[in-house]
Amino acid sequence: MPAKSCLFTGLVALLALAGCRRSPQPSLDVIAKNVEKLSLDPEDRAWRHASEHVAALLPQDVVDPRLLKPSTAFVRVRALADRNQVAFRLEWQDSSRDDLAAPGRFPDACAVQLPATASPEPPNPQMGEPGRPVQITFWRADWQSWTDGRKDDIRELYPNAAVDHYPFAAPSLPKASPAQKELLRLYAPAEAAGNRRSGPRASPVEDLVAEGPGTLAPAPKTVSHGKGIFTNGAWQVVIARPLEPALNPGSRTVVAFAVWQGSQLEAGARKMRTGWIPLRLEPRR
Amino acid sequence: MARVYNWQIAREMSYWYPESRPKRQFAAVFDVNKCIACQTCTLACKTTWTSGRGQEYMLWNNVETKPYGFYPLAWDVKLLAMLNGQRWKGARYEGATIFESAPAAERVLGWRPTAADYAYPNVGEDDCAGEINRGAAMTLPHASWFFYLARICNHCTYPACLAACPRGAVYKRPEDGIVLVDQSRCRGYQECVKACPYKKVFFNPMSGVSEKCIACYPKLEQGLQPQCFVNCIGKIRLAGWISTPDKARPENPVDYLVHVRKVALPLFPQFGLEPNVYYIPPVHVPLRFLEQMFGPGAADAVRVYRAAAEDADLSGLLCLFGSTEALLARWRRHGAAVSGYDESGRELVRVPLSEPILVRAAYDERRRIARTNCP
Ligand code: SF4
Ligand code: SF4
Repeated sequence: MPAKSCLFTGLVALLALAGCRRSPQPSLDVIAKNVEKLSLDPEDRAWRHASEHVAALLPQDVVDPRLLKPSTAFVRVRALADRNQVAFRLEWQDSSRDDLAAPGRFPDACAVQLPATASPEPPNPQMGEPGRPVQITFWRADWQSWTDGRKDDIRELYPNAAVDHYPFAAPSLPKASPAQKELLRLYAPAEAAGNRRSGPRASPVEDLVAEGPGTLAPAPKTVSHGKGIFTNGAWQVVIARPLEPALNPGSRTVVAFAVWQGSQLEAGARKMRTGWIPLRLEPRR
Repeated sequence: MARVYNWQIAREMSYWYPESRPKRQFAAVFDVNKCIACQTCTLACKTTWTSGRGQEYMLWNNVETKPYGFYPLAWDVKLLAMLNGQRWKGARYEGATIFESAPAAERVLGWRPTAADYAYPNVGEDDCAGEINRGAAMTLPHASWFFYLARICNHCTYPACLAACPRGAVYKRPEDGIVLVDQSRCRGYQECVKACPYKKVFFNPMSGVSEKCIACYPKLEQGLQPQCFVNCIGKIRLAGWISTPDKARPENPVDYLVHVRKVALPLFPQFGLEPNVYYIPPVHVPLRFLEQMFGPGAADAVRVYRAAAEDADLSGLLCLFGSTEALLARWRRHGAAVSGYDESGRELVRVPLSEPILVRAAYDERRRIARTNCP
């Protein structure tokens, strides 16, 4: 090994050790540490000062279709809160970065789940139960790539795709004219039907509510934010939710997480998930 | 799982939901013998419904050459291999359907096509040149056989797509039995794509949700037949409504062909979905193949169809195929003509059983020119 890179490796190791020393002990609960201002950047230094909870993941094996083969073993969770939001940083190993959805192809994803209302007895961790909803914020790798600037075009998926003709791209139609917009809408049925999963995305996350398996529905509005990066065979994703009565400084509640690996054809009910984990928001001084 | 009755396999079977038949069921009859694989149906659907982003690869209607053509690749033989042999005892299917052979953790036995499986529709599927070099073209019957299979969604009575969706985003309309993917509810898990044995649900990678044949319901609602039916050059298709066998009405064209004459058969009834597109099987194909594809009724269907020339009612009804854009609720032959009617009994179309024959001299004296036949 050349001396220069040897020195470099040594430096990285030293820094890593130093990082370790600064990092608080792993915690049994998820503890949201207070900061002045939250950063969505998973590499922000502030995360190092939050204690880490290592959450074991279980395959979703309660409702069909189930996941039989476990994939992601655990997810490392850190949490921070400022005056307005609480944020979770999820990190998990993934041997392949999957950020495209196509026939037989699924993107990597993760989610944070909280009970919709504060209660000593939380609802069923498996997506809540009738009358006792849960709130979910869902992050997806393909949405991340779009918001990071990848073009939303079939040729991103299949570089050699040949497209004969899109009716809305006819040269006779002035761009962005009402006639063109109407044609675009006609050939994008999900978007026209108001499906928020479809169409151009401004954010890599979506807020959802559920009252049991199969009932997942969009929240009235997505108020959460997120950002994910893939480095060294691992995803690091930050999901930030606004604070609310059930979730404020000093409160104790529960939180659950889920991870999907696209390469393992995981989507929807086929996922790795945790049960409820105690969540503590540090009181503000 | 509930117990439901599937008349196509003459027995009860297991299904994810209890039996709930629509008020009436959309159905179709395709006469395979008349298909010329011109793909006009495919294009009629494509230009009407799937010209958008993410729909580039989608053919809600496709025509493939059997036995070696598939869209997507190997869609039927793959599942047949997974089912591992089927057993019929007379009209009763004794093997397991795709619901009854669902593996642990699954609702349906199925497989996931990938983009590559859809990438080569029709490429090379009717090349049979090898035998020709060995003189096969000179012998009758031909050593090689093939036929064109036109396929749309079967708007099944027991849809696998619907059973597989964990969100209940696929639904069957109670008024006409049309099976649709709710575009506002679907989240693109592709469970329906995996489950449909006919591979007639497609994932749209641009919208992120699944899409499928809608039986042109905006047209059906106006009493009109779907696009791929009315544009068919070979006039192989007839759309209508099917009754259960116990309620069959001979004046209903679909009932007459399926239940009365039993000349039109479901595609892979052993899968257990009670599909509602019925095929008049190709008469020149080995029976074993037809039985695998259309069930134990194949031999009788071929026999009835072969005798159609001497059968004024059957050949009369076949003349109504492609004769009008209107949906026909009833039909009747009177002498050398056959008529189609709407629900109220109003005559919508009248077709002669045979067209008048006009013989013209080979040489046009007036223009002093030889006449040729133009296709
Ligand atoms: S053919 Fe496939 S897509 Fe159509 S209703 Fe049947 S299972 Fe569903
Ligand atoms: S019935 Fe309509 S939607 Fe279905 S394949 Fe034919 S043209 Fe397409």
